[in-house]
Amino acid sequence: MTNQKSKPTKDRGGSHGRRTFLKAAAATVTLPYLIPAAAMGRGSNTAPSNRIVMAGIGIGNMGRGDLGSFLGRDDVQYVAVCDVRKDVRDGAMNRVNEKYSTNDCKAYNDFREIMVRDDIDAVHCATPDHWHAIIVIESCRHGKDIYCQKPETKTLREGKLMIDAARRYSRVVSGGSQRVLEDYRKTVDPCWNGDKGIIKSVNVNVGPLPMDCNKKGEEIPNGFDWDRWLGPAPWAPYHRHRCSGSYSIDGTSWRSFRDYSGGGMTDWGAHHFGGATFAIDVRELEPEEVIFHNENGRKFATCRYPNGKLLHHNYPDRGNLEVEGTNEKGPSKPVPSYAGSGGIYGDFIDCVKTRRRPFRDIKYAVHTATVCHLFLIAYELERSLKWDTEKQQFIDDDEANRLVDVARREPWVI
Amino acid sequence: MTIKETIGMTLAAGAATVAVAQTDSATLEKALETLKTYDWGADREALKPIDQAIIATHDDAAARKALEKSLVEVLAGGISRSAQDYVCRKLRVVGTAAQSVKALAALLADEETSHIARYALERIPGEKATKAMREALPKVNSKLKPGIIGSLGVRRDKKSIPVISKLLGDSDIEVANAAAQSLGLIGTSAAAKELSKFAKKASANMKISVADARLVCAEQLLADGKKSEAAAMYKELKDDDQPSHVKAAAMKGILTAAIKK
Repeated sequence: MTNQKSKPTKDRGGSHGRRTFLKAAAATVTLPYLIPAAAMGRGSNTAPSNRIVMAGIGIGNMGRGDLGSFLGRDDVQYVAVCDVRKDVRDGAMNRVNEKYSTNDCKAYNDFREIMVRDDIDAVHCATPDHWHAIIVIESCRHGKDIYCQKPETKTLREGKLMIDAARRYSRVVSGGSQRVLEDYRKTVDPCWNGDKGIIKSVNVNVGPLPMDCNKKGEEIPNGFDWDRWLGPAPWAPYHRHRCSGSYSIDGTSWRSFRDYSGGGMTDWGAHHFGGATFAIDVRELEPEEVIFHNENGRKFATCRYPNGKLLHHNYPDRGNLEVEGTNEKGPSKPVPSYAGSGGIYGDFIDCVKTRRRPFRDIKYAVHTATVCHLFLIAYELERSLKWDTEKQQFIDDDEANRLVDVARREPWVI
Repeated sequence: MTIKETIGMTLAAGAATVAVAQTDSATLEKALETLKTYDWGADREALKPIDQAIIATHDDAAARKALEKSLVEVLAGGISRSAQDYVCRKLRVVGTAAQSVKALAALLADEETSHIARYALERIPGEKATKAMREALPKVNSKLKPGIIGSLGVRRDKKSIPVISKLLGDSDIEVANAAAQSLGLIGTSAAAKELSKFAKKASANMKISVADARLVCAEQLLADGKKSEAAAMYKELKDDDQPSHVKAAAMKGILTAAIKK
């Protein structure tokens, strides 16, 4: 793999440039948030020099949609795209260049070439899940803000590393899932309005669990960098189902398989558990226990939060996002929302400008994914587990602690 | 004693869990046999009795030991890459220093198996697994070195600091970057010293990774109560010729160290 440096294609510096400003800001200790020069260009008809300069990494399927959403904004300027499929990255590059009627957008196979470009303020990442932590952390190291698709983590250990990197460099790091705020208002609003009274629990029904993939190899399509697609995951032969970005979780897409995803538990779980934890207002917390139930072969589980609230998975005879509360009228509190305009994408861009934390700040996004992973490990081991939120370890369970992370294939280290 | 005999005895003694009772030892034996010819494209369901045996033997040390022994024997017996992949994944959960480490260590220098061996070794507790990777490091090629360095970093192996430090100056940028990152993860005073020393001569293409490693290292020092060492490291970074976001992170670190009790 290369580690070559690309020269910035566009100089956004000068006396009012972002880097100059950062330097001055650092010297005067205006911490923790620093404002890019692009922030000066808010509003319509934003001057190109004041737009948020962006790149997209992983731009097939979901990434294509993300790119479209950011590309449609006049306060964003795309300059680079990255994908391990040549046809995908070339298509995205052409789409961007046609939009701007320029040839400024460059296409890369190796995301690290985007990282070293000083002209890029922010990136979005929609690779398969096993790449998320590496790309988020690397973006923060290079001073870039990042919007990362859900589920943000592949393992429990990755979550803390991602939050730490975001906070270390005061980066705006937004998780994905527009559904958390937009799709579950019938559940969220009664909880925040006080109509549910004191909330005891919420149930989520999602699945299935991830599976192993032992598919026989097929010929690697031309222009597909298979080794880089695998990245930190264990080597395996190419098979179209192994890497298909389709949204199926039935063994015909990467979302089905353990090495690249947590299956339906994390893929849909990122939405539903995100909505559930938002509804019962435990986004700041992590569960301290996951209780595994096996009632006559019917398996389900419950996460218990330090404040006593319960988050069930597949609880018998409970509906999806069914909230259990005391139902007497309680105090109402305003439901948090996005900043800016344009949904979750606008929220991210606005936060890049204002240096506020986005609605799906990486901490909340990681906590959602953590719930998914705790359930996955409890189901894998078929037992209840206690989770030390400080140490990020299971208590008195050596075997469960082995599942907190996976060794990454060389050369990837986090 | 074979796995069949061991699990059979466990069942007879009535000490097994309900799950163990559900695990048919003959089925398990068959699944272990299947591994010997298992390859890409084979039905993964055929190995399910092994998955179930792992759950079933959680509270049964003798049965677990026998299961691990059987898996190690299969691994050492010359099996396909797909079967090696499967066995190493299982040893990640049930592997022990006593039985698995030697067989896994034997796979570390092979490009086809090095990672999947670490997949188990990195997660097996104890010095023996760490030592196996530490000792393998000088013997493996440059392609494999970053992986082993990374695993030693994740395990925060202080004894690896001398050998990893030497690799900071490696001509292979992947090796050198992995060395920096791992020293940051190890996060001791000795690791900090090595990183600071190297930072003065680090090439431009290592600037970010070394700076990040120093910040990560300083955070670990701070978490371990070594306030003054962490503060000194932050100060070095603030005063260095660093990108602005790194300087800002260092300033933030200085403030954090100052108010930490």
